[in-house]
Amino acid sequence: MAEYTVVGKGLPRIDGPEKATGRAVFTVDLKLPGMLHGKILRSPHPHARIISIDSSAAEKLPGVKAVITGKDISAVRYAFVDTPRYPADERPLAVDKVRYIGDEVAAVAAVSEAVAEEALALIKVQYEVLPAAFTPEEAVMPGAPVIHENTLEGTSAWEDWGAAGRAGDYRDEVDINNASARSAISFGDIGEGFRQADHIREDRFETAATAHCALEPHAAVASYDPVNGKLDLWLSTMGIFLKRFVLSKALKLPISKVRVRHSYVGGAFGGKIDVFPYEFCAAYLSMKLGRPVKFELDREEVFTTTRQRHPITVNIKTGVKKDGTIVAQDIKVYADNGGYRGSGAIVVFLCHGFSFPIYKVPNYRYEGIAVYTNNPIRGPQRGHGAPQIRFAIDSQLDLLARDIGLDPVEMMLKNVRHKGDILPNGDRLTRCGLTEAIKGASEGVNWAAGRRQFVSGAGTGIKVATAAKGSGKDGTRFRRGVGISVCSMFSGAMYYPFASAAMVKLHDDGSATLFTGSQELGQGCYTTLAQVAAEELGIGLEDIRLVAGDTELTPIDLGSFLSGGALVTGNAVKLAAADARRQLLEVAAEILEVRVEELGYKDKQIYVRENPAKSIPYGRAIQASIFRKNGNPIIGSGSYKGYPETDRYPSLAKGKGLFTSAYGFAAQAVEVEVDTLTGKVRVLRAATFHDCGFPLNKTIVEGQVQGCVSMGMGQALSEEIVLEKGQLFNASFLNYRLPIATDTPETLDDVVESLEPNGPFGAKEVGEGSVAGMLAAVANAVHDAVGVRIYSTPITPEKVLSALEG
Amino acid sequence: MKRLINLVVNGESHEVAVSPEQTLLEVLREELGLTGTKKGCNQGECGACTVLVDGKPVSSCLVLAVSVNGKSVSTIEGLSQDGRLHPLQEAFVKYGAIQCGFCTPGMLLAAKYLLENRPKPSEQEIKEAINGNICRCTGYVKIVEAISAVAQGAAL
Ligand code: FES
Ligand code: FES
Repeated sequence: MAEYTVVGKGLPRIDGPEKATGRAVFTVDLKLPGMLHGKILRSPHPHARIISIDSSAAEKLPGVKAVITGKDISAVRYAFVDTPRYPADERPLAVDKVRYIGDEVAAVAAVSEAVAEEALALIKVQYEVLPAAFTPEEAVMPGAPVIHENTLEGTSAWEDWGAAGRAGDYRDEVDINNASARSAISFGDIGEGFRQADHIREDRFETAATAHCALEPHAAVASYDPVNGKLDLWLSTMGIFLKRFVLSKALKLPISKVRVRHSYVGGAFGGKIDVFPYEFCAAYLSMKLGRPVKFELDREEVFTTTRQRHPITVNIKTGVKKDGTIVAQDIKVYADNGGYRGSGAIVVFLCHGFSFPIYKVPNYRYEGIAVYTNNPIRGPQRGHGAPQIRFAIDSQLDLLARDIGLDPVEMMLKNVRHKGDILPNGDRLTRCGLTEAIKGASEGVNWAAGRRQFVSGAGTGIKVATAAKGSGKDGTRFRRGVGISVCSMFSGAMYYPFASAAMVKLHDDGSATLFTGSQELGQGCYTTLAQVAAEELGIGLEDIRLVAGDTELTPIDLGSFLSGGALVTGNAVKLAAADARRQLLEVAAEILEVRVEELGYKDKQIYVRENPAKSIPYGRAIQASIFRKNGNPIIGSGSYKGYPETDRYPSLAKGKGLFTSAYGFAAQAVEVEVDTLTGKVRVLRAATFHDCGFPLNKTIVEGQVQGCVSMGMGQALSEEIVLEKGQLFNASFLNYRLPIATDTPETLDDVVESLEPNGPFGAKEVGEGSVAGMLAAVANAVHDAVGVRIYSTPITPEKVLSALEG
Repeated sequence: MKRLINLVVNGESHEVAVSPEQTLLEVLREELGLTGTKKGCNQGECGACTVLVDGKPVSSCLVLAVSVNGKSVSTIEGLSQDGRLHPLQEAFVKYGAIQCGFCTPGMLLAAKYLLENRPKPSEQEIKEAINGNICRCTGYVKIVEAISAVAQGAAL
C-alpha cells in the first residue's frame, strides 16, 4: 500500500483550537450594526383555512419595523424536491391554508426579540378549522380531507437546471388520496421467486419520527445592500450553493447577487439542508427594510418546524430456501411526510436505494408511498430512509434465521453482495467490504459465545437446531443477548449543483490556500480536505489554510449532504492540488534544466531524482513562476461530478438511472442487557465495522462512526417524537430522550479498508451509514436476550415488558 | 427598570445595567459580547451554556443576571491563558472530542470543575459529571477519553 504522510493519519482537526476556545463564530453568534430581530407567527391548528389576517395593531407597536404575511409573497414557492413530477409545495408564509401545527403564517421584524414576540400576539388571524388526518392510514382513505388541492404554476428547479426528464404530474399515475409521491421498482419474477421458496414470512414494522437535535438552533442573518442590490446571508446550512439557488429564485435576485457567507454550523444531521421560511423571511425583510435581520428559532420551533425523520411503516414478505438463500422479497413502505412533501419523494426512493446494494435478491418488488398528513414536515435525517428500511429487513432476516434454524450471521454472509457485482440499476460495486464488516462486527461482540439463540421454528416444517444453552443467566433478572444488522449509503449523487470544484493557490513561502465551497458542520471536512490537498502537494497540514463555505469566494460544491464530501469534493480538491503541483514541477524543471519526469519532491523541496543535491525549495519555484510566467503565482483548479460516468439522473419514481459511484457499507453488532423486571434495555457493547474505502483521517472517521452509533442507539431505544392530533408533546431535550454520557456503550469501531478506486486515496462515505444498522441490531439482540420480538421503534421498557408478559 | 450590577468575568470586573428578567447567558452574550458561551435550548436542558459561578458549574440560561451581582464568573474565553490552551482544551483537540464544537465550551467547563474537585475520576464519574451536557455529534466516547487523559496526566 502507498505510504502517505498526511492522509490516513489521525491528525487533530484544524478548527479544533478555534472551537475549544469559544472563538469559532456560529450563525447564532452574529450581530451586525443596526440589526433587527425577526419572529414568526405559527398556526395553532393542524389544518385550517385562513379567512383573514389583521396585523394593524402589531404594525403600530413601537419598535416594530415590518409585518409580512402570505399575501405579500404569494407567488413564492420552493421545496427540497422541485421537479415537474413533484412540484414544490411549500410557501414561506401560508397563503390559503395552514397544514400543520407550527405552519408559518406571518413574520415580524423589530428592534428586539422581545418586541417581535409581543407583536406576534397582536396579529389577529381568523381561521376556518378543517378536518385533519394524522396517519397515512387515515389520509389515504377515500373521503379523507384533501391536504393539497391546488395546482401549482411556474417552473420547477429541475427544469431551471436543465436536468428534468419528461415526467408528468405524479397525480396522473398515483390515484391514492393524499399521496405525495410513489416509487415502484421491481426486478426478476416475484411470483416465481416465492414459488421457489421453502419458507416465507410476512411481517410489519414501524419506525418512529425522530428529531435531529443539532445543538445549534437554526438561525439566519440577512443583510441587504440596497445600493448594490446585493444580499449577504449567514445560514445554518449543509449546502451553501443549493440554498443560494433556491433563495435567489424565491427572492427574484440574480444568483450572483446572493452571497452565502461563512459561519460554523453547530451540527446538522440532515436537518439544515431544506430552505426554511425563516431564511426567506430574513432575506425578504432585510431587502424591504435595508437593514440586517436575524432570525433565531427557539428549541421548540426547532423540534416542531425544522423537519423530522419520516415515521415509516414497512410491510415485508420474504421467501428463503432451506439454506437461507433469499429468493424473493416484496416490500411495501408508507412514509408520513407531514403537511408538505418535504423529502417524501426522496425517502420512499431511498428506502430502496440505500438498501438494495446489500443482499442479492433475484426476485424483488418494492413500492414506497409518501403521504401527506397534518403532522410536522419530514425531511432528510442521517441515513434518510436507511434506518427505517434496515430495521425492517434485518429484523425480519433475524426472524427468518430463527425460523429455519440458521445463525443470522451465516445467513447474512450467504446473501450479501460482493465486489464486482452489478446492481439491477447498473451501478457497479467496485469495492464491497460487507463480508469483512460482518465478520469483524460479529466477532466484536463475541458472537459465538454471546448468543443465546432463541429459536422460533414453529410451523415451518423445517427441522430446527436445538437452542444452545444460554449464558447461564436464565432465571436471573438481567439477561444479555447479541444482534447484528448491515447497512449501506451513497457517496454523493447527482443532485444540484451536481459537482464540486476546488482551487489551490500557492504562496511564496511554499504554503497553500485551499478554496472549497464545502461547509463544516462538525463532520471534519475542512481538515480532511486540507489533508487531501497537503498530501497531493507534498506539504504538511500546517502549511494549508482554508477559504471555505462562501459562495462568493469559492467554486461550487455539492454540499455536505448525500455523503458526497469525501468522494466528490475530495476528488475535486485532489485534482486541484495535482494541477498546482504539476505547474510547480514545470517551473522547477525549467529552472533545474531537466524534464519534469526526472523530478521528485519531498519536504517542500523539488529535486532531480538521479542527483538529489540538485534541488530547489517550493518557495523559490513559486517565486520564480511569478517572474517567469507573466506573474502567474500558480493556481490549480479541479472539479469532479457527483457521478462522473453518467448524465442520467436517478428517477425517484422508477428507480432507474445510476445512483452513486461508490457505496459505503457497514455492519453493526451490539450486546444488550435487558432488565426483565422493568423492561429497560441497555446497550453494553456496540461494534461497527465500516467500509469507508480509506480513512482520510482516522480520528475523524472514528468520531463519525461513534456519533452515528450513539444516534442509532437513541433511535433504537428512546427517541420518539410524540404527537397527539398533530400537536408535538415533547419538544424539549428533557422530554425527547436522546443519549447522554452515561448511556454510552463500550464501542468498538474499525474500518474495512477496501480502497475505492473512484475515491481520493480510496476514500468514500463514512458519516451517515452507521446509524442505520443500530435499530435492527438492538431489536435482534433483545430477541436474543429475552426471546421476544419488538416490531416498532423505539424499543421502550413498556413495549419490552408487555411483550414479556404477553 | 434596569439595575447596575458588578460581574467579575474571567477576572475582569464589569459594571452592567441589566433588566430583572435578563439571564446571565444573555448578559454574557449580548452585553459583554462573550459569545463563546452557547445557547442550545434556553431551558436548562442541554448544558451548552454552562459557566462557572464562584467555581461551580451552572446553566447560565437559568440564572438571572441580578442574582450573580458581585460574583465571579468563568467562561470559555478565560480558559486559555496568554494564548496557551488549557490542558483540557488541548486534549479535546488532540483526542477528537470536538466535532461541531457547539457543546464544547460548556463541556470543557463541566470537565474543569470535575478535575478541580476530583482530580482522579473514574470513567463512570467522568460520564456523570458531563451528563447534563448534551453532545449530539461525538457519542461522548472521545470526550470521555480526552478528560481521562488529562486526569491521568497523559503527555499531550
Ligand atoms: S442553553 Fe442553557 S441548558 Fe441549554
Ligand atoms: S460536538 Fe457537536 S454537539 Fe458536541
